[in-house]
Formats: sequence, C-alpha cells, structure tokens
Amino acid sequence: MSDWMRQILESKRAMRSRLASLPIAEKLALLEKLRGRSLAIRAARLARLTKPALKTP
Amino acid sequence: MKATLAVLNQMQADGVIGAYAIGGAVGATFYLEPVATLDLDVFVLLKPATGSVLLTLSSIYDYLKARGHRIEGEYVIVEGWPVQFLPPAGPLEEEAITQSVQVEVEGVSVSVMTAEHLVAIALATGRAKDFSRILQFIEAGALDTARLDALLARHGLLAKWAGFGEKFLRDTP
Repeated sequence: MSDWMRQILESKRAMRSRLASLPIAEKLALLEKLRGRSLAIRAARLARLTKPALKTP
Repeated sequence: MKATLAVLNQMQADGVIGAYAIGGAVGATFYLEPVATLDLDVFVLLKPATGSVLLTLSSIYDYLKARGHRIEGEYVIVEGWPVQFLPPAGPLEEEAITQSVQVEVEGVSVSVMTAEHLVAIALATGRAKDFSRILQFIEAGALDTARLDALLARHGLLAKWAGFGEKFLRDTP
C-alpha cells in the first residue's frame, strides 16, 4: 500500500473515530440527516428508472 | 428520533410491550459513528393478550393505529420513523433484550442492546452488511472481548465466529 493511500485511510479512520465519540443526541441527529439523504437518492433513482425511454428517430 | 423513542417508553408504560431493546443500525450508532439506515429495529418481549396464550404483534399495531400512527407493510411509521417491531427469534435475541443497557437521549431513557449482543446477532444473521458492521465494531474497539467470547459460546456461535475471523481478519495485525 502506498503512503498516500495509507494517509487517506488513516484520515478516514480518524474521522470515523471522531464521529463515534460524539454525544448520542448529535449522532442521532446525523442519522436523521443520513436518512434524509438516502431517501432523496432513492427517490431520484426511482424517478430515473420510471422515466420513459427516449425514442430514437 | 427522540419523539419515536418516547413513544416506545409510553408503550411500555401502557403495558403494550414488555421489555424492549433497540438493535440494528440505530443500536450500532450508540457505539459507532452514525450508521446510515432507513428504519428503526425494536426487539420486544410481547405480552400475551388477556385470556390468550398467543403472542402476536397485533396489539402493538392496534395501539399505535389508535394513536394515529400509520402502518406500512411490516413497519409502523412512528413520529416520522419506520419502526419494525421484532419478537425475539430465539434465546440470543431474548437475552439481548433482557440484558440491554439504559441510555439517556436528551432526557429520554432508552434500552439499547449491548455492543456484544449487536455483534452476535449480526454474526448469526450473516448478511454482507452484518459482517461489515462487525468489522466496524472491531475497528472501533467497542467490544469487550471476554464478554463477547462468553456470549458466543453460550449461543453456539464460536464456529461461525472462527469462520468470520478466517475470512475477514486473517491479515489484520
């Protein structure tokens, strides 16, 4: 593994550790936001899937 | 979420459910970084209806419906969160409920599974996302290994745990 990749993984680990140590009320608030984003992504994906295919001339 | 948790406590106070424990991704969030999820898994010990020995979820649905909460398939939408009520599938889940820990969330006291029970249930469930969550628990150092070992032995999960270690932890220093 390159030093660059090791640094990236280490910074991700540090961020996860910081998030894990937040007070539970803050973590649950983040969970609400994550859920909102997941629902928005899901809705966008569904809209794309249900869009009628363009007809080629 | 806080309002949803308060409803659970009210259900318990009103005798609709016995002991309960939050599991799944929301339960894991009490120990890890927030884990994205769309629903809340609540494991409940059910009380048999008066004059009956049968344990069903219908009393939960009836109670919540009467208070304006919407039923959607196997979920009840409680204060904006889809909640799935899960009766224990066996002794492991039963123990996870009875040995749950009380956590205070902005003045609301909630019962949450221990980290070790969450991991044991994830191991027993065995989907890719469950294994991924177990790895998160290990990486976060959120487990009491002696306690986990005893729990896994008690519920016949040691072989499965060894298989998990062989597959995912072999190269871990």
